Amino acid sequence: MFKEKVLHNQEKLKTFLESLGLKKPEGLDYTVGIYYGEKLVGTGSIKGNTLQGIGINCKYQNEGILGKIITHLMKKSLEMGFEEIFVYTKPERIVNFTSYGFKVVAKGKYAVLLEWTQKGIEKYKEKLKELGVNDTQNTTSIVMNGNPFTLGHYYLIKKAAAESTHLYVFVVEEEASVFPFDIRYRLIKEGTKNLDNITVIPGGQYIISSLTFPSYFTRDEDLIKAHVDLDLEVFCTHIAPLLNISKRYVGTEPYCPVTKEYNEGMKLKLKKCGIDVVEIERKSLEGDIISASKVRELIKLGKIEKTEKYLPQTTYNFIKSKEAGNIIEKIRDSKSRH
Amino acid sequence: MKIEKMVMAGSLESNDLLVTLSPSEDNTLNLTIESIVKKQFGKRIKSIAKEMLKEFNVQKGNIRIQDMGALDCTIKARIETAILRIKEENND
Repeated sequence: MFKEKVLHNQEKLKTFLESLGLKKPEGLDYTVGIYYGEKLVGTGSIKGNTLQGIGINCKYQNEGILGKIITHLMKKSLEMGFEEIFVYTKPERIVNFTSYGFKVVAKGKYAVLLEWTQKGIEKYKEKLKELGVNDTQNTTSIVMNGNPFTLGHYYLIKKAAAESTHLYVFVVEEEASVFPFDIRYRLIKEGTKNLDNITVIPGGQYIISSLTFPSYFTRDEDLIKAHVDLDLEVFCTHIAPLLNISKRYVGTEPYCPVTKEYNEGMKLKLKKCGIDVVEIERKSLEGDIISASKVRELIKLGKIEKTEKYLPQTTYNFIKSKEAGNIIEKIRDSKSRH
Repeated sequence: MKIEKMVMAGSLESNDLLVTLSPSEDNTLNLTIESIVKKQFGKRIKSIAKEMLKEFNVQKGNIRIQDMGALDCTIKARIETAILRIKEENND
């Protein structure tokens, strides 16, 4: 008989996944191991609301282990407060998940996004329809994380809005950044109040953040390609047609190689679905490009006052407020860029 | 009885079923049946589910059944467990 047990030992998980030719995903919240006697024969993990790192020893496949793993992880994520579960997998693995009630959201060339939800993407689209304005002339879009919202973001939005009849600003909703989504969303909304032809929209699960896109299921060098492809597939098939979006604005990317490659991939792919990508030179101040990572860096160094010149008043006020205390502390203790 | 929080009972293993109950936004009763043997047994599963919901006076909510080829008694037991979990949650 097979037994399910929590697997705490990340080294053991790493060795097991590597023996199957898989890479261990980073930053996992929970892992279950399936044991045959004392032998580990399968594992699956959760990171936020996505299933990751599912691997089964091939000698034990077709023994119902996948059903065990999926059930276990579904119940665990429900316990953690997630009522919707997502999984990224390879196109040839779709049936493994659809047979357990998952539905395909979008199928890219290298990766597929599936969801186990009540209404999922359809519900998101209903919400978009409500938020949408009837405008088919020159409706455009921009996607941002805003971690936190800076004058650089503001400049980008203002410029794009000036060139459009209406601009949709999608805020990455995934919780993979130090500023939580509700704060990032709020600061973008507050900081753009003076612009009347824009709508700020939560990105749902469907504006995929590169930060949670699992790095395990494909070779590193293909990772960005796979991510770009899938994210834009969702944008092209579900989001853009619904809101008549004809353009997507991006800031030029001088620093982050991931974002740079993302932008390159985006140009090619969106062009194919009839959406133009417009790059805007990023705003500089005293020769320095304004970026959220610079702001976080200053916070980390304890130089909060120095962030003022990079931030709209609303964001700066927030950072100085009591409410931001936990976030500031987290940034000071952090090692990562995000 | 009102469903205020999502609960699950059962599993996605062979000969079992996963029952998920969740609040319905429009205050109606929505029953969804997914089954590997839906053609043969879909109606039967539905009538069992309806009976159970009536018995426990569940009038509003989303009920999702993912059947992996379970026997009638298993179906009944899993639905009952899920409903009892709702009761527990509501009492907390």
